[in-house]
Amino acid sequence: MKGKRNGAGRLLMALVFLFLYAPIFLLIIFSFNAGNSSAVWQGFSLDWYVKLFQDRLVMESVYTTLLVSILATAISTVAGVFAAIGLFGLKRRWRSPLMSVSNIPTVNADIVTGVSLCLLFAAVFQGWGAFARWFNSIQSAVALPTRLTLGFTTLLLAHIAFDIPYVILNVSPRLRQMDKNLIDAAQDLGCTWFQAFWRVILPEIKPGVVSGALIAFTMSVDDFVISYFTAGSATSTLSMTIYGMTKKRVSPEINAVSTLLFGVVLVLLILSNVLELRQEKLAQRKSALQNPAEYRPVRSHSAAPKVTKAPWFRRAVAVVSVFALVGSVWALASVAGSQPVVNVCSWGEYIDTDLITQFEEETGIRVNYQTAESNEVLYSLLKSGGGDYDVIVPSDYMISQLIEEDMLAPLDYSKIPNFSLIDDQFKNLPYDPDNRYTVPYAWGTLGIIYNTTMVDGPIDSWSAMFDPANAGQVLLINNSRDALGIALMYLGYSVNTTDGGELQEAYQLLADAAAQGVYQGKVMDEVYQTMEGGNAAIATYYAGDYLTMLENNEDLAFVVPKEGSNWFVDAMCMLKNARHPEEAHAWINFMASTDSCLANLDYIWYGTANREAIEAYPAYYEELYGEELDQETFDIIQTPPEVLERCEMYLVLPKETRDLYKKLWISLGV
Amino acid sequence: MSKELIRLSDCVVKFDDEIILDHLNLHINDKEFLTLLGPSGCGKTTTLRIIGGFLTPTSGDVFFDGQRINDVPPYKRQVNTVFQKYALFPHLNVYENVAFGLRIAKVPDGEVRQRVTEMLEIVNLKGFEKRPISALSGGQQQRVAIARALVNRPKVLLLDEPLGALDMRLRKDMQAELKRIQQELGITFVYVTHDQEEALAMSDTVVVMDGGLIQQIGTPEDIYNEPKNAFVADFIGESNILDGVMRADGVVEIFNRRFQCLDGGFPPDAPVDVVIRPEDVDIVSEDQGQLKGTVTQVTFKGVHYDTIVDFYGFKWLIQTTDYCPVGSRIGIKIDPDGFHVMGKSAYSGLFGDYSSYSEEYDEIGDATMEPGGEDGEDEE
Repeated sequence: MKGKRNGAGRLLMALVFLFLYAPIFLLIIFSFNAGNSSAVWQGFSLDWYVKLFQDRLVMESVYTTLLVSILATAISTVAGVFAAIGLFGLKRRWRSPLMSVSNIPTVNADIVTGVSLCLLFAAVFQGWGAFARWFNSIQSAVALPTRLTLGFTTLLLAHIAFDIPYVILNVSPRLRQMDKNLIDAAQDLGCTWFQAFWRVILPEIKPGVVSGALIAFTMSVDDFVISYFTAGSATSTLSMTIYGMTKKRVSPEINAVSTLLFGVVLVLLILSNVLELRQEKLAQRKSALQNPAEYRPVRSHSAAPKVTKAPWFRRAVAVVSVFALVGSVWALASVAGSQPVVNVCSWGEYIDTDLITQFEEETGIRVNYQTAESNEVLYSLLKSGGGDYDVIVPSDYMISQLIEEDMLAPLDYSKIPNFSLIDDQFKNLPYDPDNRYTVPYAWGTLGIIYNTTMVDGPIDSWSAMFDPANAGQVLLINNSRDALGIALMYLGYSVNTTDGGELQEAYQLLADAAAQGVYQGKVMDEVYQTMEGGNAAIATYYAGDYLTMLENNEDLAFVVPKEGSNWFVDAMCMLKNARHPEEAHAWINFMASTDSCLANLDYIWYGTANREAIEAYPAYYEELYGEELDQETFDIIQTPPEVLERCEMYLVLPKETRDLYKKLWISLGV
Repeated sequence: MSKELIRLSDCVVKFDDEIILDHLNLHINDKEFLTLLGPSGCGKTTTLRIIGGFLTPTSGDVFFDGQRINDVPPYKRQVNTVFQKYALFPHLNVYENVAFGLRIAKVPDGEVRQRVTEMLEIVNLKGFEKRPISALSGGQQQRVAIARALVNRPKVLLLDEPLGALDMRLRKDMQAELKRIQQELGITFVYVTHDQEEALAMSDTVVVMDGGLIQQIGTPEDIYNEPKNAFVADFIGESNILDGVMRADGVVEIFNRRFQCLDGGFPPDAPVDVVIRPEDVDIVSEDQGQLKGTVTQVTFKGVHYDTIVDFYGFKWLIQTTDYCPVGSRIGIKIDPDGFHVMGKSAYSGLFGDYSSYSEEYDEIGDATMEPGGEDGEDEE
């Protein structure tokens, strides 16, 4: 009877643990996957770890993360300890409310903390700018910088700010346990306050300080949201980089990073637990000794007149280590400061990262490469002043909006000789009619991806997206412009229509299909896992991404439907307030070169606008992989003109239409 | 005695608007054992903290050996303290606790060893050097605390209810020990307690405090025999305190009856408080008694009986070796030296009635701790 109950209890326990840890185990397992799928096991390999350590972006962000975490931990531990002591010394009337206030950041939503810090920094920078301009205008001996930007310093300040409460939270109970008279006693015996602090308070609260520092450190390493808002364009923490990598698909490299991160946190956790356990054991042993009759000698307490190391030795070590730390930070900052820099913001998985290294080696210009989630996120980042970029790679319709709002700087095409290599059909496009602002980066088409084993016969029309016969097997793209666009195209209307009636009709089409249960869900990047794993039959996505999926599931097929589709161009532009225009031009020119375009084409499988690259690609492919490039594949990468002819580009829509899109999209709610 | 060492001159301490010390004047002589005695909240610990330098008076001056030391921090004062609950450093062993002050003063190692060993011998803790603090009993911790303070050879040792946490037996032993140490080393002790027995047994001078004011300063005998007001009379020992009228020098009237006494110097017919100690009352048969009453309660206390007697509605405590059963009528006789006459004070009428007598007496918090309650500070 009892045994049975125990069995059930154990099973329940096992299930709970399975539920808790299965995702992490899965992640760890797939970090050793030979293929690049997150759903299909293709054998054991350490490739992703090798790749990880060779990835400059990741390694740099690891460095940034460690530096910021260690510095923030050190500073916030010192500040937190003194704050806790200060709070402890207050009368309760003041202490309780102050403690509550200091605890708020720990329960406050990160997003609120992050945004408010971002706002604060922006406001301070503005104030500083005004002051610096005034100061520079009244004297000429010292020129103060008038423009401050988010960066490592603000990131560090933010981390210190959110770490301090954790230190206070850990130190305060220790202080409360401490006999208040100890401080008086130490002072009574000849200590100044600081001597009392070092010799009496600190040994008493040490366990609290250590655990506080450990928690602060893990919080710092772990933080994404607050960092995202305060790091600026030139600094990325590891979690930010990981996030950037997940934007398109979960690269197994992320599994590797996450596995390592999990390992580090696990080790820290075990460490702090072991410390605590040891403390407890010590306390137990002590309390066992409480009764003098049971006294046994304790070895941990060494003989009293022990010769300790001379104090000057300890002091020297402390001074040297402080100097080493400050020196290394300073050296690093000065290296970074003196080097020319270009700040780039692009999309996740949208570049062959070797190109970044290559560019840096060739020009000596350091590339700070960040990624945004979508055109809209990029736009709001730019508007809020959080994105201090030189080069961005927005899509067509966003470019026209940015031009309209005078946020882009005209390019000096004399500094971009490679622009001449751009095929004419990619010049003077509607978003930039006189081609004064942009150089095309990549382009592609929207189409239907379907699993040939799950549908009857080939698909060639958007009708498949609305057919009740495919109920539960269709993935709708989670983006109002594309989703409504599909319906508009099926109905034979322009994707740029501003006619409310036509949009209403398109909406009805989607709504009816949704009511009939056609859609399994609205997806963006989840499309990879779902389609690769054969969990849905039909999806709408981009041509280049189809090829990535094809690698993991050979049954997939792609079609640009006969009704036509959307084609899009992402182009490099320079922001009006770019601080490194020279470097920006160099970067744009580099990325437009035939070699770069070839490498990128092969990496991201999106079309290129570089004429030479288009022509050279089949040969490049053959040389690289030792096999002939499949024409069909090439046609998907580089959509042939006859297909392109029936495709339409998105134009920026007037405000009323955008609002209508929003309204319809919300009421659709698949 | 000898010369003056410490003087508190017109010291006032206020926390917010609460007056903790009210214009206190006090001097302490060299090599004196002075006790600050009073109930919790009376300002005795505050006074001690002023001398120790942990508290600066809101107004008034503190002199040490003629020098004003208001602004001298604790670590520069030639004063050491034995704290309530001892405040030993838990992370250090016995030896290092005692050596703490010497190490701060950068005394050479050899001398530290010699002085610590010597001091541990004085407090009977030889051989305990390497023990952790948590492995000591209360009395041992107490002695470490004393050694830790005395090893620095202070001119004055401040003791803040040092025996409060010990049990009765240990307290008595430690009282004797402390007195011995004080005499052996010839150091001034300033001792804070709420235990009147302790104060009477150890002190050269007792300072009785209440409500931030000094009620009386004197030798233990003075304080007991000649209390200045009803508070002191009640706080020190047991007292029956009665309303009386001083008819003439040597004649006091209570219950409309005149008694012979030894006090004088009051204006004629002045209302006074009359103190009669319970042990100064003799029980006689009813017809021989100066006053007649009924026994309402009897408690056996070992040495004597605590007998509560009702005289005309006023209940007295009488300590007697004669057993009188409850309900019996008795008379009492009091010798002239059994009366102690005091002028009227703010405390008149508040003490000295045994109507609500309980066997516990009305002693204040025997052997209980009121941690820090006197500083007006908050505690967890």
